[in-house]
Amino acid sequence: MAGYKEVSVAGYEDFMQAVEQHNGKTVFAYFSGSKDAEGKSWCPDCVQAEPVVREGLKHVGEGCVFIYCQVGEKPYWKDPNNDFRKKLKLTAVPTLLKYGTPHKLVESECLQANLVEMLFSED
Amino acid sequence: MSPGPVRGATPNRRLGSVRGVSVLSPPGRRARPSAPETSRLSSAAREELRRRLLGLIEGHRVVIFSKSYCPHSARVKELFSSLGVECNILELDQVDNGASVQEVLSEITHQNTVPNIFVNKVHVGGCDRTFQAHQSGLLQKLLQEDPAYDYDLIVIGGGSGGLACAQEAAVLGRKVMVLDFVAPSPQGTSWGLGGTCVNVGCVPKKLMHQAALLGQALTDSRRFGWEFSQQVKHNWGTLTEAVQTHVGSLNWGCRLSLREKAVAYVNAHGEFVEHHKVKATNGKGQKTCYTAAKFVIATGERPRYLGIQGDKEYCITSDDLFSLPYCPGATLVVGASYVALECAGFLAGLGLEVTVMVRSVLLRGFDQEMAERLGSSLERLGVRFLRKFVPVAVLQLEKGSPGRLKVVARSTEGPETVEGVYNTVLLAIGRDSCTKGIGLEKIGVKINEKNGRIPVNDMEQTTVPYVYAVGDVLEGKPQLTPVAMQAGKLLARRLFGGRLEKCDYVNVPTVVFTPLEYGCCGLSEERAAQEYQRENLEVYHTVFWPLEWTVACRDNNACYAKIICNKLDNERVIGFHILGPNAGEITQGFAAAMKCGLTKRLLDDTVGIHPTCAEVFTTLEITKSSGLDIMQKGC
Repeated sequence: MAGYKEVSVAGYEDFMQAVEQHNGKTVFAYFSGSKDAEGKSWCPDCVQAEPVVREGLKHVGEGCVFIYCQVGEKPYWKDPNNDFRKKLKLTAVPTLLKYGTPHKLVESECLQANLVEMLFSED
Repeated sequence: MSPGPVRGATPNRRLGSVRGVSVLSPPGRRARPSAPETSRLSSAAREELRRRLLGLIEGHRVVIFSKSYCPHSARVKELFSSLGVECNILELDQVDNGASVQEVLSEITHQNTVPNIFVNKVHVGGCDRTFQAHQSGLLQKLLQEDPAYDYDLIVIGGGSGGLACAQEAAVLGRKVMVLDFVAPSPQGTSWGLGGTCVNVGCVPKKLMHQAALLGQALTDSRRFGWEFSQQVKHNWGTLTEAVQTHVGSLNWGCRLSLREKAVAYVNAHGEFVEHHKVKATNGKGQKTCYTAAKFVIATGERPRYLGIQGDKEYCITSDDLFSLPYCPGATLVVGASYVALECAGFLAGLGLEVTVMVRSVLLRGFDQEMAERLGSSLERLGVRFLRKFVPVAVLQLEKGSPGRLKVVARSTEGPETVEGVYNTVLLAIGRDSCTKGIGLEKIGVKINEKNGRIPVNDMEQTTVPYVYAVGDVLEGKPQLTPVAMQAGKLLARRLFGGRLEKCDYVNVPTVVFTPLEYGCCGLSEERAAQEYQRENLEVYHTVFWPLEWTVACRDNNACYAKIICNKLDNERVIGFHILGPNAGEITQGFAAAMKCGLTKRLLDDTVGIHPTCAEVFTTLEITKSSGLDIMQKGC
């Protein structure tokens, strides 16, 4: 079992709070379209990528933090002025990134196990 | 002339008869049905031909030297075809140095007839021997894939040329590795994957150039009605942070791209230890060895130092400038290369005090008239030039970020010395190839001892047949990112994709991104006069005043355009030069036109776009030979 801590958040404010709380740690974040009552996201790519990301997490280093962030409903996401787009410069979901670095994978890149592994095991 | 496709399961590849152009003949000569040719090979030509043949033999699973009308050759080709084996065939009667090839082959194999067959680099023999080998089972054994090497290709150097070559080879289905390692600069600067262009060259340079241009635009904007009361200042930290963020995303992009194509990337220094084998040493000193069938050296260059007191200790170079954690302040730029002038330009454009110390001429190798005009434009920006001086010592007066440095310089024309105090000294006197310490001498790759560059033939092949080179490290080729990328890509296609196209190094456009940009394509006036004689040239020129500069009240004689035409060839445009805003964007289109054989007449027939700067090229009238004045009046 890799020694990472998982934090689940929803929305931009929650996300930034989680980042603050874990200042000084290596933080990975996965942004997904929000899940409904049955636990299914409106974003089909996010649904497909999640198991690949979870598999990749097994390679992550000790003491890392993994933030699973639900961004919101589809209309909110499509709004070009939403906080994720404007402040975090996200362009699509799913996005998997290492916070504070240019290391990120977007959309279909998140489906490729070798790329996901590379992002998680980067020194 | 070439026979139809050989019947059988697998189409065989004819090296010598694709579109009638021989892979072995000098470029530009078309193949003919050969008349008997007497061998007049000089020993240098013989050596060259031998090297190429060995390269062919090393590079393909089956090589058949054949003649298209020879029945024994036909039998052998059918045999391989029936075995489903792809062959590479050179028809000696269809290349115009066929007799020479046959002669050199005879030296290599002691067989002077065709067909002459090699399987996995082993000389099998002629038709009879090949059939015997087939019957005895030997042929099948020889055909088995050689598992000896870890990789099909190892590229040493992960810059523009190396990455382009590696990725193309991977796309063509090969097993490829890239070794990239950046030794920290004397000031301790290092960077990620992508090479000089991405990290400490083109990309950060252009962004800083843009920063300087925006500063100028702010000044001009007042004349166009923009009103702002606060003093506009520049924050160096904000700029470098933004630039490095972008560079970081490019480093990541390179990593992603390699991983997606399954190219193995190791952040380690590669060094040849014996033929076909390199030792890779990473940042922690761990060593691993790898073997490959072929290698490409793409290690590029690093800035040169002066070899004087205090140079490595106190001076910075372009390696350090783009990530400098403090504003450089008053800067002395030593050198007159385009790197020196571009850096001097944007530093001055950002409001810093800049001095340029030049040993002799500006932009050696470029058109000198353009170089001098460019120099004047920098002077107008406030850059101070110290011409005909070389630094002899750099002393630290005060530590700091930046500190204060004293530079003592001596005149090149006499005993006069001059002293100056600066916050930063930036050395831009040239770059040295990274070809020492990578074991080239162990395997016999010849380099130019003076400058470290690697001489290659027109297939980018070094003196060792399985070792190739691309990029800045090449002797006698333009040191530009697009050239390296093109050469790398085409090389991979020739090695692994069965293609024949070679890199075209003629009429490569380039731009100096000083605040007033200088774009050129083709020959300088000096080179043109040398090659064609001055009386055969017609040079058309003009100064021009960009419309945007009128309201801004900027100089009306600073921008200049000229074309050099060959009178003996329909006034073909053989040199294109422009000093003006956006020269970078303007030059690209004219470079393409020159590839199509642009002439003065075609230019005159082209209708200009108005109002632009580029349109001046469609209405050039005054020639240098007429002696008429081109200066504009008033302002």
